[in-house]
Amino acid sequence: MLQHVDFQEMEVGDSLPPVTKNPVTKVQLVRYAGASGDFNPIHTDDAAARQAGLNGVIAQGLLVMGFVGQAITTWAPRRYLKRFKARFTAVTQPGDVITVDGKLAKKSVAGNKLTVVCDTQARDQNGEVKISGEFEVAMPLTSQSET
Amino acid sequence: MADKSKEGMKLPVTVFKVERVKIRELVEAIGDANPIYVDAEAAALEGHPDTPCPPTFFTLAFQEFTGHYFRVLEELGIPLERVLQGEEEYEYLRDVYPEELLTLSTTVENITEKKTRSGLMDLVTLGTRFSNQSGEDVLLARSLVIERK
Repeated sequence: MLQHVDFQEMEVGDSLPPVTKNPVTKVQLVRYAGASGDFNPIHTDDAAARQAGLNGVIAQGLLVMGFVGQAITTWAPRRYLKRFKARFTAVTQPGDVITVDGKLAKKSVAGNKLTVVCDTQARDQNGEVKISGEFEVAMPLTSQSET
Repeated sequence: MADKSKEGMKLPVTVFKVERVKIRELVEAIGDANPIYVDAEAAALEGHPDTPCPPTFFTLAFQEFTGHYFRVLEELGIPLERVLQGEEEYEYLRDVYPEELLTLSTTVENITEKKTRSGLMDLVTLGTRFSNQSGEDVLLARSLVIERK
């Protein structure tokens, strides 16, 4: 079982522990194509990608959003995730090493419920932002120490 | 180009069954080793009756896997090779587990023309409501699709 972050102890502005992924591989793009059904050749065929004006294949944006989703459910239990938004800002290529970080932006308590909103970003090894996003988690205050 | 008169249009619904194997394929492609998505016992420790769907799983249902997305773009008259994905947002209303049958209803919420540094673009906002076999809403998805003109 994953050790989640204790949001109850965090303050606005605090950072979440970054999640760094293994380098993106071409095989991974093929796997994601199979899983999602996105067979646009710009993700799997270098010649087709070059014909489309790219340097070579690029990752599916939703794969990188999947990395961010992985980080979020590392930080918080899946069942507490209420909202997740991603803005796609740059393309990802094989070899890129994506790190997902996050920062607590809002925190509120209503009754027995803790709600936090966090900003999150997926960056490559050069610091280029691929996804800029936001998510909201809501959880009961009392069970926080158990999760 | 996107047809502004199609704003407000509701698109034909798609029905999608949540398959255990598709969840596994997705988390393996992402490289997400969180056991709750594939191991019901690990999922139970986080309070789930079965393995839950990872946060971006729903993209399979309303994008490529079912062909829903392609039909939507076709209805709107947007050529696939001109499409860029701008934003994606999910609002999770209820937990969803394998074997559930989801119905997707997409509405064209907004079409706006925008002048950018790289030329004219149409920004199309699609809202998709997912409901389960009991008629309960389980997820709202909003996609901002950019058409390069």
